[in-house]
Amino acid sequence: MEFFTKIPVMEGTALRDLKKGIDLSFRNFSRTYGEAIEGFFDPLLYFLIWLEKILVSTPWPIVIGIFGLLAWLGSRSVKLVIGTVASFLIIGYFGMWKDCMATVAIISVATLVCIVVGIPIGVLMSKSNRVEKTILPVLDMMQTIPSFVYLIPIIMLLGIGKVPGLIAVCIYALPPVVRLTNLGIREVDKEALEASEAFGATPMQKLRSVQIPLSLPTIFAGINQTIMMALAMVVIASMIGVRGLGVPILQAISNQYLALGLMNGLAIVALAIIFDRVTQEYGNRIQKHRGQKK
Amino acid sequence: MTKIKKILLSAIAVLTFTAFSSVANAGCGKITIANMNWASAGLMAEVDKVILEKGYGCNVELIPGATMPSFTSMNEKGEPDILPEFWANAALDALTKAVGEGRMHSINKAPILGLGEGWWIPPSTLKKHPELTTAAAVLARPDLFPHPEDSSKGGFHICPPGWACELINKQMFNGWGMAAKGWKIVETGSAAGLDGSMAKAVERGENWFGYYWSPTSLIGKYKMVGLDMGKWGGDDNWHKCLVKAEQDCATPKQSSWIKSEVYTVTTDNYKKTAGKDGMNYLKKRVYPGEVMNGMLVYMADNQAAPADAAIEFLKKHENVWTKWVSGGAAKKIKASL
Repeated sequence: MEFFTKIPVMEGTALRDLKKGIDLSFRNFSRTYGEAIEGFFDPLLYFLIWLEKILVSTPWPIVIGIFGLLAWLGSRSVKLVIGTVASFLIIGYFGMWKDCMATVAIISVATLVCIVVGIPIGVLMSKSNRVEKTILPVLDMMQTIPSFVYLIPIIMLLGIGKVPGLIAVCIYALPPVVRLTNLGIREVDKEALEASEAFGATPMQKLRSVQIPLSLPTIFAGINQTIMMALAMVVIASMIGVRGLGVPILQAISNQYLALGLMNGLAIVALAIIFDRVTQEYGNRIQKHRGQKK
Repeated sequence: MTKIKKILLSAIAVLTFTAFSSVANAGCGKITIANMNWASAGLMAEVDKVILEKGYGCNVELIPGATMPSFTSMNEKGEPDILPEFWANAALDALTKAVGEGRMHSINKAPILGLGEGWWIPPSTLKKHPELTTAAAVLARPDLFPHPEDSSKGGFHICPPGWACELINKQMFNGWGMAAKGWKIVETGSAAGLDGSMAKAVERGENWFGYYWSPTSLIGKYKMVGLDMGKWGGDDNWHKCLVKAEQDCATPKQSSWIKSEVYTVTTDNYKKTAGKDGMNYLKKRVYPGEVMNGMLVYMADNQAAPADAAIEFLKKHENVWTKWVSGGAAKKIKASL
């Protein structure tokens, strides 16, 4: 009867040896390949350090001016530019400038990496059901596995700092853009696709001129979600040594400083909204020829 | 019966049943213990749980926590009832005030023997550079300990944000003039970050310099070497400056680390609920340093959860814990294992 009340468990020492075996083999892997992997990521690290230094040391009027200009170029909306400039001025006035610049540096690189890596993967997935079936579980894992589970091996290989932080953010923020690119391209009107074939389009031409333009709304929804998730990971990135708005939030959590946590949290929200609205307006503008807004 | 009457009657029935169940547990009553987020504290909380439940019939609940949040919660709301491993340097003033007002009791001023906080380097570093036995010697060589993101400066690993030692280490950084000597703080972000950075460095044979404390499994496992931090800089310098945030005191001076004060702290509610038996148990409960270190190494080697390690401790170190409890309680606990 005990079989039914207590589920059979693997023998204690066997379970322990299995766990220790996995740990030991990873440790050996880390010892042999760790230096090489660290060296591989060094250019990325230098780039991140350089970008953060530039953003932090450039005089603030210039930085805010550049952000305003980028907002204008992306959205051509005066309201958005005013909102962007005002948000950054308020963030600076409340003493969060340096942290904000550090966060902007790492999150913009992370978002760019996610988009540049994610859209091609989404396109690949849309072309083949087999590829889709293999990649989907990987995406599920990336989104649900608790961050520290994959951070522990990453810390053992690369230490703490910007690169592990970037990897953590990318792993969590990549799936939305991949899934939605795949979805968007698969949902393109079959008749439009047929029409382009009838006119003699090659697969590449079909992709560039028919599939991607028609699936842009869905792709941009994916980009929006990726940006939101990247900014949501800011605090976890701070837990492995990334400077930015997450560090004061961690202090606030541990010491119960409500105001500090709220202010930095709202700064992250402001960043998310600015990033998102600018990219959405840009997406809307390049689809204006379709005559539909949103 | 109308619907309202049915609801009222069933509510009264439920309330009477719950009233009976709480009366049935009288004898010791409900106790909450802080289950803090590091190995030795977790082990102590689980051992306390087993002993108070099986030996004294209390109804124990473990509440996750950390030094400052749990202490603040105890101070403001009277919960949890027991803080098994409170590193008192973090809030000595607040604690003294609370004890004076009778809200809390520092029931045991030395629950673990052989404690120490300070700055450590790996044994491999000491072997390569035998002169690095003091903090002053290490601080003169930032080139040996490159900061992971800026190799022109030395990297000084400190505690995660929210730990009392984060404030102390930041003030020490100022007091020892480390910025001028070419050092930069490495913000580790979390306990996992601090542990991970030390583990990675030692496994790869790299140099590492930063804060840690003992007894811990990492210090024992990697046999880290504690640095001599020189002379004590005076009580005022410590209590009024080094433990405060940078904006609250701009003139810290260099000093050795204060002798670690670790207490078991309880609320007044615990004194009333668990009575003399409970207070006496906590008073007598003292872990010798080697026993605690041994348990920590056991937990690390076998990846044991604190609850399992508590059972292992109770089975293997009978001669230690039977001294803390009454004969009758000891029998009941042994029977339950």
